[in-house]
Amino acid sequence: MAGRLTETLHRILPVAAGLAALLLLWEGGVWLLDVPVYVLPGPFAILGTMVDNAGPLGAAVQITLGEALAGFVIGSLLGLSIAIVLVLAPPLETALLPLVVMLNSVPSVAFVPLALIWFGLGIASKIALASLAVSFAVLLNAIQGLKRPEQEAVDLMRSFGAGRLGILWRLRLPAAMPSIVTGLRVGLARSTIAVIVAEMMGAYAGIGQVIYQATAQIDYLVVWAAVFLSSLGSLALYGLLTLIDGRLVWWR
Amino acid sequence: MMTALKGAFRSMADSAPEGAPAERPAAAPTAETTPEPASAPVTPLVEMVNVWKRFGEAPRQTVALAGVDLAIRPGEFVTLIGPSGCGKSTLFNMIAGLADTDADGAVLFKGRPQRDGELLGKVSFMPQKDLLFAWRTVIDNATLALEIEGVPRAQARARAAAMLPDFGLAGFETHYPHQLSGGMRQRVALMRTFLFERELMLLDEPFGALDALTRAMMQRWLLDLWEKHRRTVLFITHDIDEAIFLGDRVVVMTARPGRIKTVETIDLPRPRGAEVVTSPEFIEIKRRLLAIVEEESIKSFSTGGAP
Repeated sequence: MAGRLTETLHRILPVAAGLAALLLLWEGGVWLLDVPVYVLPGPFAILGTMVDNAGPLGAAVQITLGEALAGFVIGSLLGLSIAIVLVLAPPLETALLPLVVMLNSVPSVAFVPLALIWFGLGIASKIALASLAVSFAVLLNAIQGLKRPEQEAVDLMRSFGAGRLGILWRLRLPAAMPSIVTGLRVGLARSTIAVIVAEMMGAYAGIGQVIYQATAQIDYLVVWAAVFLSSLGSLALYGLLTLIDGRLVWWR
Repeated sequence: MMTALKGAFRSMADSAPEGAPAERPAAAPTAETTPEPASAPVTPLVEMVNVWKRFGEAPRQTVALAGVDLAIRPGEFVTLIGPSGCGKSTLFNMIAGLADTDADGAVLFKGRPQRDGELLGKVSFMPQKDLLFAWRTVIDNATLALEIEGVPRAQARARAAAMLPDFGLAGFETHYPHQLSGGMRQRVALMRTFLFERELMLLDEPFGALDALTRAMMQRWLLDLWEKHRRTVLFITHDIDEAIFLGDRVVVMTARPGRIKTVETIDLPRPRGAEVVTSPEFIEIKRRLLAIVEEESIKSFSTGGAP
């Protein structure tokens, strides 16, 4: 236990030191060069604004992260299920996969106006967009992973009398886990981006809307505070995912 | 220790190995170049009758197997050698039910023709690669086939646990494959094959990737195990010494198109110890087989061998 603690400390300390150095350099630079606030405020001013506006900012970030997380979960399940169906039915895959790749190459934020028209300005449109963005990432990675087992391994399973579902459950899914985890990581990043951009273009609440309104009001400190906070929020989500990773790829 | 496997033992295992020839038909020596007639005293466990495998259309057709006839009797240990690309693996896939023979031939199992994957689940098959699943521990890799058969997990694990010492894996049950040496991985794969209790075991170069010392040790160990369990074994190898040392009969295949060149009955007494390989009888058999195999290898070399 103590060993793990010191190990964690050893990993965190350099990062913390680097961050502190960066903040000091930033603060010093802004102060020395007398940079105006609308160009770049100092980090301590931003942190101060975050503390002053903790209530509304916290509420906003909660909504944003909630939307991102909901979209992430729905999109992951959707992507994984479609991947399984496509792998079980190769003709479907040949017919649909090019379409998926085509849709995936359109940035999901391009669908924001459509999502707002279809699902309104509330949370539904954000969740739908996030789901879309996540599902493509998970789908493509999952397909690649599910098809990774070599033919010999599939043949071995068949020789033991396993059917398609048995091969899927005992061979393809576990073998695909590392790829699926990659898909989840990419998906999570995409999900927060999609939600924040959608909030900027039309929402009742959320950190994207805060950024949009503060920009309109030329309140750059609040803009920066919101950006800081949303990065912290994404970082927290990412940390959560790293925890799950260890369980999804338990054998490493 | 091995009670878990009692059901799979052949009664023949109880008698001394010297007793075994009595069960083999007297006609065995004449079976060297022709398949056994159906009226042989013992029905073959598996029989290949005029097995062909052709790929592609007439002018550019590749023939992998050309009229293979071979019968394997229950309890027999048959080894198969031949130059690379002679269709050994194709033959194996057919006996495992993974591939069909061309329509003019058949694989018979206990006298009945098998087609369209009917053999799947009836033959215990060990491919060349160990194919252990990285996400399963030693014991869970070993019980894979049992799980597919629907044996409850606890029961499957208990049966595997009882076999661990025999396979030199005691204490390693919770290790993952990447923590094992090549020889150990191969033993886990063999254990998985053994736990899938079927009368016929197909082993495709199980020791091919091992160093010479480990390989010799594994061969003796496999013979011990076989003498205990008496499953019928068909064993592919590149190694003539291995083929003679292990087999009751050595089947030599020709270069592509693969057919059976000769079948040599190995009368070396069992149990066979390490010293057998230096006995004059062994050397004599080896000299004879080597000449045949070399001839085929040169042929396969000069025709470009495997594509």
